[in-house]
Amino acid sequence: MKVSLFEQVPYRYMPEGFENQYNSVVTAPYQVVEPARMTESLFSAYAELMHGARAGFDGVCVTEHSQSSYDISPNPTLLASAVACAAQAEQLDVAITVLGRSLGKTREPLKIAEEYALLDCVSGGRLIAGFPVGLSYDANLNASLPAVETRERYREHRELILKAWSEPRPFPWNGRFEKYGQVNIWPRPIQQPHPPIWIPGTGSPGTLRDILSHDYVFVYLSWDGPKLTGRQVFDRYWELAEELGRDRNPYRLAFLQVVAVSETDERAEKEYGKHLEAHYRSGLGAIPHTAMAVPGYAEPAAIEGMLRSAGPAGMLSRMKTATYAEIVDSQVAIVGSPATVADQIEAFVREFRIGNLLVMLQNGSMPRDLTEKNISLFAGEVLPRLRPIWDAEGWENHWWPRAQGAVSEAAAGGKA
Amino acid sequence: MAAGAAAVRDETVEVWDSRLRLHVKIAGDGPPLMFFHPLAGLAWQPLLDRLARRHTVYAPEHPGTSPGDPQAIREVQTFWELLLVYQELIGTLGLDRPAALGQSFGGMVAADLAATFPRLFARLVLLSPLGLWRDDAPIPLMEMVAGPPAEVPKYLYAHPESEAARAAQALPSDPGQLAKAIAQTTWNVGCTTKFAWPIADHGLGRRLHRVQVPTLIVWGRQDALAPAAYAKEFGSRIAGSRVEVIDDCGHAVQADQPERSWTAISGFLAG
Repeated sequence: MKVSLFEQVPYRYMPEGFENQYNSVVTAPYQVVEPARMTESLFSAYAELMHGARAGFDGVCVTEHSQSSYDISPNPTLLASAVACAAQAEQLDVAITVLGRSLGKTREPLKIAEEYALLDCVSGGRLIAGFPVGLSYDANLNASLPAVETRERYREHRELILKAWSEPRPFPWNGRFEKYGQVNIWPRPIQQPHPPIWIPGTGSPGTLRDILSHDYVFVYLSWDGPKLTGRQVFDRYWELAEELGRDRNPYRLAFLQVVAVSETDERAEKEYGKHLEAHYRSGLGAIPHTAMAVPGYAEPAAIEGMLRSAGPAGMLSRMKTATYAEIVDSQVAIVGSPATVADQIEAFVREFRIGNLLVMLQNGSMPRDLTEKNISLFAGEVLPRLRPIWDAEGWENHWWPRAQGAVSEAAAGGKA
Repeated sequence: MAAGAAAVRDETVEVWDSRLRLHVKIAGDGPPLMFFHPLAGLAWQPLLDRLARRHTVYAPEHPGTSPGDPQAIREVQTFWELLLVYQELIGTLGLDRPAALGQSFGGMVAADLAATFPRLFARLVLLSPLGLWRDDAPIPLMEMVAGPPAEVPKYLYAHPESEAARAAQALPSDPGQLAKAIAQTTWNVGCTTKFAWPIADHGLGRRLHRVQVPTLIVWGRQDALAPAAYAKEFGSRIAGSRVEVIDDCGHAVQADQPERSWTAISGFLAG
């Protein structure tokens, strides 16, 4: 089992009741921000990722959102680059997962190819390349691209990036959206033909089929609560895997889980409860539902399916009023002592066959000292129980960075 | 209006090198008139019944908006291609200089067709067309399309509670039909906004001088989507055009002011 630390970059001082007046994205009013507190919020995210790398996580993970108060990460490769550099300097063998630059949103796909390649080189071949489509509010409102073209752009951009990484000679690209006369990027990824590719999604059949047929990793996020929606998504995934002739290697799957751990269950609730509740209400809860699917983003059959869905409703649509009890009962967040947390995670990891776990240990207003306590406790007392879960089945993780040897050479400063 | 409802038939016309099968609703008798529908797709409505008493009305469905053929939108990559598709359609239908009436998004399409192909139409009626942009009169298209569905009427109608406005927004009560209807309308808006996003300005203002046919521009003074300031913009760019700005009237002029808008439209088309 590989376990990575995932961070979003929220502004940590959102005013109480923000969600009743404003949206957390697109139109979120910047006037609520105090500049010094923005500096602190941003710096804390860098510091906490490094704390996680030092504490023994297998990887660190960041993602992209523009015009957002709950994840101020307009370009996650900036954050990832700083961490990759610092990790090299400290000779920490840690994977850098960018989950990632949105391929359906970008107007400059070759920049993504270049930035990812640079990260792979700087980290000595430790990049995991996330290829998300991009959320509708980000692609269609923030970047203002026509919603109906989002997936077409995504497909073209993915093809272009993969070719730019591996094609030995300069080539022209005459695409539907992009035209280039000579593509010849510097640098190229150390991991050839490409770093491991992970694709986050909500689990729609089309996305799962695309991921499985290309042999990439599917990343599912716990916002809806694995207790409510995990079964239907992962059952569908493994059924489809069988249909497409893929093996049951658990490393094909990654799962992002919010976790808050303290010495005891009671202390955990006391320390983290208010932060979790405020985070979901003012962050995900304050994204208007309509902004998650601008007309054209989802095909008519998919919309009809969502409207008729007989399956259990996830928490995402109810976040604005989410209570601590709902968050915990649905497992949107797993909160408690190390034993409680490890038991719950181990249960769903085994049930759904998850080989790559991402844990999000900072939420909204959580201060740095409390976050670092969460990171340390998780790394020290939960992670060791999780790591050997799949050892007995003997699977190889083909979707983990391969060039592990370069760290000491790079850190040695290239001295002859 | 039921007594005056026209018999409407649905014809499928192959265009665009056989890549598109466009659905065209056809009704009435008389000289031909093309109707270009607004963002949410083609809805047969009292205005079209009235037009069908004097014209043969041809109302094409924007590519992708015909039920059962959502992927047709992929065959039209740019607004320029959309104009070519419609120009081919008019030729394939065998129409010789029909009148054209376009509303909102459809008004932008009709206006650009008339500017691009100055001999395509005989007359042009534009009901609160999109297509221009002024920084001092922003068009909140993105806000309407990506906002709560319950707020859409406030952009479209001066009187959202009127019978005509409620009829235009009505949804089926059967849950299965409701899901289908919402999915279809949502997709329709996705298909039309492909050519209007985030700002419906393809440079039409630089081409409008090419419109050479008699033109009527109708606007609602209280238009909350495309402010009435644009009536003058269209009017001043199209030589000899007539501008009618109707009081107590929003974006959907024929719903808010059916009689006054009909008087203007029918008088112009008869002239």
